[in-house]
Amino acid sequence: MSCSAKAKSLIYSLPLFQRLADIRARRAEAEHVFAPGFDAKPQLVMWTDVLPLLWSVGSIGVVTALLFVLNEPIAANLVPIAYLIPIIYAATRWGIWAGTLASLTAITAADFFFFTPLYSLRVDSPQEAIDLLVFLVVALVSSNLASRLQQETERLRRREREIQHLYEFSKRLTACFTISDLIDAVSHYLAHTLGQRAALFVASAGGHFESSPELGAAPPAVQESVAAMTAAVGATDRSIIDESTQDVWLLRAVGSNTVVHGVIAINAGRGTREAIALRTRRIEAVLEEVSLTLRRLDIGKAMDDARMHLQAELLRDAFHGTLSHELCSPLAAIQGSVSVMHAMPAISADERLRSLIEAVSDEVVRLDGHIRNLLNATRVTAGGLTPRLEWSDPRDIVNAAVKARAPRLAAHRVEIGFDDDLPLLNVDSGLVAEACGQLLENAAKYSPSGSTISVRTRHVGGRVVMSIVDQGVGVTPDEQRHLGRKSFRSPRHQANVPGSGLGFWIASTFVKAHDGTVEVVSRGHGLGTTASILLPAPQTTDSELVTCDDE
Amino acid sequence: MSKPRNLVLLIDDEPKIRRFLRAGFEIHGFSVVEAENAADGLKIATFNAPDLVILDLGLPDLHGSETLERLRSWSNVPVIVLSVESIEDEKVRLLQAGADDYVVKPFGMAELLARCDAALRRYFKSATENPVVVAGPLSVDLVSRTVSLNQARIKLTRKEYRLLHVLAVHIGLVVTHDQLLKEIWTGNQRDNIQYLRILVRKLRQKIEADPNQPRLLVTESGVGYRLENRLETSVAD
Repeated sequence: MSCSAKAKSLIYSLPLFQRLADIRARRAEAEHVFAPGFDAKPQLVMWTDVLPLLWSVGSIGVVTALLFVLNEPIAANLVPIAYLIPIIYAATRWGIWAGTLASLTAITAADFFFFTPLYSLRVDSPQEAIDLLVFLVVALVSSNLASRLQQETERLRRREREIQHLYEFSKRLTACFTISDLIDAVSHYLAHTLGQRAALFVASAGGHFESSPELGAAPPAVQESVAAMTAAVGATDRSIIDESTQDVWLLRAVGSNTVVHGVIAINAGRGTREAIALRTRRIEAVLEEVSLTLRRLDIGKAMDDARMHLQAELLRDAFHGTLSHELCSPLAAIQGSVSVMHAMPAISADERLRSLIEAVSDEVVRLDGHIRNLLNATRVTAGGLTPRLEWSDPRDIVNAAVKARAPRLAAHRVEIGFDDDLPLLNVDSGLVAEACGQLLENAAKYSPSGSTISVRTRHVGGRVVMSIVDQGVGVTPDEQRHLGRKSFRSPRHQANVPGSGLGFWIASTFVKAHDGTVEVVSRGHGLGTTASILLPAPQTTDSELVTCDDE
Repeated sequence: MSKPRNLVLLIDDEPKIRRFLRAGFEIHGFSVVEAENAADGLKIATFNAPDLVILDLGLPDLHGSETLERLRSWSNVPVIVLSVESIEDEKVRLLQAGADDYVVKPFGMAELLARCDAALRRYFKSATENPVVVAGPLSVDLVSRTVSLNQARIKLTRKEYRLLHVLAVHIGLVVTHDQLLKEIWTGNQRDNIQYLRILVRKLRQKIEADPNQPRLLVTESGVGYRLENRLETSVAD
């Protein structure tokens, strides 16, 4: 029995070194990926590979010595359990082969030192032979399990690091405003995740790729190869070998669906064909993720948008600050002067002059509306929106809104209806009227002249609902998703309907400040829109108030 | 016109606003004096004894409300305030400080003139004058306390009449919620604007052609109510 065990161990130990070399090469790959600069030479078996095996054998030796010091009967009982400790440790620490070697060493030592006849590999009693066999099976199984656990842990750790890198990468991507920012982020990411040297070539206006010196240099062979590629033809992916260093370089296009922003050259290092192939697969996988991210963001457009957005924000803030106030005074002067002219007999008698004056007046009202919108937006963004609550009649609110927007509603038929049992609302009537007015203005803007806009105020289910129903272009489901976002304007209307995109945002913000909601319902394009302001109605009944006053 | 021309004092630091105000008032038969700051304005108000003051709130030397207070310490002259912001609290404060009415920039001349007319009428109204106030189809006899709509007598409750009476006395001018509450109610009810809202609803049922879209008894959001004396509005207003 003991002979066969020993023979087995020999049989295993021969290919063991070959396998070890293989595993080491693979591990080196993995480490190479995460530890830049680790120079792997997978063909040779190194001292560092044998060391774990020596450690595992040594630890069995230590346990044997300890058991030997104790007297025999106790030792015999302790043997299986005592040996399991170094076996599992070796398997967890150094992998399956170290574990297996430890198991075999342990069973040999156990047989030799603790099983009768002592100091011989022979086993006499069948019971002891079974014990040893069971021990061997348990040792192998547990070392196998332990090493698998260790591999799994290592895999998870690696995955976590990858996710961490990817997360940092996506964070960097969101802060990219220029092509060079983007390329810098990509190169940084590759260096970190792949540990590879990367060089980038930015697509120039002429359709060629130019190397960007601050982002790493590539050998002449790579530069020549990239120079031969043109953005117009479409950058094809290729691999080339730098003759001077024997390094393999991968060339890959970086871009979104619509634009190729540049070519990235990555040093895949040198080594066996298999090692290179393995590294290439890893690089490809990361690049795939990079380009997926790029595609998802459609980075070129996103960057332009972000830049414009930033400028618009700055401009808007400046506008809100002092400019709006500076605009109010001239506007008052224009409006006042026009109204004086309108009353002059010489002008009111002349139809043409009068219509011109009226046109100026209308435009002043419109301009005033825009300035007011911007001021309202400032109030909201500056966080200064505190409703001044006062019991108000919903009729007064709706009428005020319609009156304030009368010039804009002149081309439409406006129908106003109220439920009889409308309760009073404890609201800032100015804010709610403004919200209602914004919705009215939208109704007028997006429905044909001469069509009807009906404003209906009802008392439903503990709420007061002000609905503005138009017969206009309607709202598509896609637009509906964006409604309520500051400065959103549907691409459908940007060219032909003037507006700032603030109106609906102001309306919904003002209504939200009253714990209310704005709902927009449309059966689709061209089928009209119903925009409703829903405000919570108070619980107190008006009837008691009525009786109080009935004198 | 043998009637002496009313003198209006414009206190505003914006020359262009003063220019159109001067033109507008002169066309309508007023004489105009101008001041570009509060100090000048108060001086002129003392020496020239204007019949009407137009006061801008954003003066360089003194805030409008303080100017108003100083003016009110010795004069009852009607004052119409020009306000840039449409902040209700500010309007209410000014009305309580003694302004007769306000207009919010940008405004039309017709609107300002209507306020001025109403303020002047109230100021110069004497006991010998006709005690009947007319607003469109509505007439209120302040002496016999009778109200008629389209020549037909209508019956109002005591509080409804009281409300209409206060508004009729100030016809064309805004009357604040506080003022109305104090004129009509006593005790705790004075602070409850809900009573006023309900009372206005009921009065509108009796005097308005369409109570849902009132044209006589109009709401000044967040400030008060006004009994309109001119029902037609011009386009450029």
